[in-house]
Amino acid sequence: MSGPLLSIENLRTYFYSRAKRAFIRSVDGASLDVARGETLGVVGESGSGKTVTALSAAGLVTAAPGVIGGRITLQSNGTARELLDGLERYVRVEEEDGRVVAVEKDERGWRRHAEALMAGVRGKEIAMIFQNPRAALNPYSTVGNQLVETIRLHTGVKGEREAKERAIAWLERVRIDSPRLRFDNFPFGMSGGMCQRAMIAMALSAEPSLLVADEPTTGLDATIQSRIVELLGDLKEETGTATLLISHDISVIQRLSDRVAVMYGGTVVESGRATEVLARDAPARHPYTEALLEAIPSAEAIRNKSYLRAIEGDVLDTIEVPRGCRFYGRCNKVTDAIRERCAGLEPPLAEVSSGHKVRCWLYPTKT
Amino acid sequence: MRRFVQTQGPIGEFSALPLLQRAETRDLLYVGYGLLIVALVIASYLMGAFGWLPHDPRQMDVGLINAPALTAGHLLGTDFLGRDLQSRLILGIQAYFLPGLLAIAISVAGGCVLGVLAGYRGGWLAAVVTYIDNLLDSFPRLVLILLVIAAFKADIYAIMIVVGITGMPETANLVSGKIAFLKQKNFIEAAHALGLPAHTVILKHILWLNCRTLLVIQATLGMAEAIIVETSLSYLGFGVQEPTPSWGNMVQAGANYFLQGNFWPSTAPALAILATILGFQLLGDGLNNMLEGKRRRG
Repeated sequence: MSGPLLSIENLRTYFYSRAKRAFIRSVDGASLDVARGETLGVVGESGSGKTVTALSAAGLVTAAPGVIGGRITLQSNGTARELLDGLERYVRVEEEDGRVVAVEKDERGWRRHAEALMAGVRGKEIAMIFQNPRAALNPYSTVGNQLVETIRLHTGVKGEREAKERAIAWLERVRIDSPRLRFDNFPFGMSGGMCQRAMIAMALSAEPSLLVADEPTTGLDATIQSRIVELLGDLKEETGTATLLISHDISVIQRLSDRVAVMYGGTVVESGRATEVLARDAPARHPYTEALLEAIPSAEAIRNKSYLRAIEGDVLDTIEVPRGCRFYGRCNKVTDAIRERCAGLEPPLAEVSSGHKVRCWLYPTKT
Repeated sequence: MRRFVQTQGPIGEFSALPLLQRAETRDLLYVGYGLLIVALVIASYLMGAFGWLPHDPRQMDVGLINAPALTAGHLLGTDFLGRDLQSRLILGIQAYFLPGLLAIAISVAGGCVLGVLAGYRGGWLAAVVTYIDNLLDSFPRLVLILLVIAAFKADIYAIMIVVGITGMPETANLVSGKIAFLKQKNFIEAAHALGLPAHTVILKHILWLNCRTLLVIQATLGMAEAIIVETSLSYLGFGVQEPTPSWGNMVQAGANYFLQGNFWPSTAPALAILATILGFQLLGDGLNNMLEGKRRRG
């Protein structure tokens, strides 16, 4: 089998903000690859487009105008499925000076076509878990029944009793203790951590090839966070399911990811092996990644009672995308030699070493 | 010297009020009374349908007119033609029972469809449903029904269709409000992410699991409404006509003798109306408190 399991190329997802009377380019030209069995961590500040990228891949964007274009390829049963194939014809975008002024989208045609392309993918090939797991479960149905429902929907197990046994086995696999009792629990009778475990069981029970975990530990308390991270790590070893892990918590990303993509302003500014991108002294790295890493409070900094480092300025509101580098306004690494290029021309995502790509003019492109 | 003893049992469920004044007891009484009335109505409906009546409701007895309750042979007395009131009260249920069910079916089913469209799809549909609801609320229903009768010479089933249709927006509003509430919790989105088809999400996860109590409550309140409409119309002479009994026309017929001191022939059906409507209303109210009020956490 060739190519990565999931490949996102030049994805663009826009929303219209009534308050600002403008189009927000939530995701604007993002490209990601997730290989079979690997965990790709996506980091970035709030508003950098991480979650929307994931929702777009799962076809779950509902707000208008939503996904505009790009390419999403998913390897499924040995064939490559193009999830956005031929959808360009439903959309027309008008742009003026880096500002989107009009988007025409045949919502109905797009949806019909997109749903046809997604058939059998959502939930089955790409499963998803969310933040705030308690709200992600139906409060009026027992955890067990909800788990049985997904098992019967997505696997060959159709019998009531067999599905129940499978469900209990899954509850056990996600380390919910006394799973037989918990099977009949309603979500409000369980802790947030247990609800997240149940959600993970539901997502994985379909035996998907890709698990999208959107901030899976946000909203849980710190010890539970750590347990959930541990569980996700163990389950990845056991099942070999590739994971697209989205988090703004770099320590979570560090513990689980094989590779990391850093997003800023709706696009990927750096990607590479986790050990390289998040290493203490990487030879080459995007100034934004550097700033993010510096913002993590270290034991040393606490001991010295020094101020926590924050990134100057606000996250780019992607209404007006600058002509040059998206990070230019906040970057503290600009040198006079490259200033002109930084301001005027968007740098390409260039390979600085094998598998490590950075979108910055500081590093010479190896072409 | 005072002694303090730690009481057993979960904190928070401790209630200092005497048993009869507690909210739970009250709701239980409401629901119990309501269920009793529902059972009585259904049993009486069946008795009327199969003709199991103590007397022939059309059998006149001129020697025994306007008899009070507990007269020998006539447990609930007789009316101005000496007809057995008990039999006529039982038969009077025929006038509203099936039409009332039709009204409920229309308002609940139609309300669900509109509510799902408004709450799940949202947008202009939601605005339209709310608008129609306000419009119907601001227009007296009985006047609307009288207009329909005047225009189409409508029978009771046609009237109940009108009652059902005018009840739809209220149910729709409740359902769409519930969906809006559910949408804040993202389990609907999560259900889609797990690949559940839209009809499963709507029918099972939204309507069945989350709206069923609400719909049962709407149905009981709808029945009370239907009874009010039917009896009012029959009282006014627009509904069921003599000699077929309806509680409404029985009150009307007895009213002619009311001021002559014969209170019972119109009071009996009036009490039946009161007790029945109260039963359905309290059932709805009690169920609402018991099922909807306490499950709000989660």
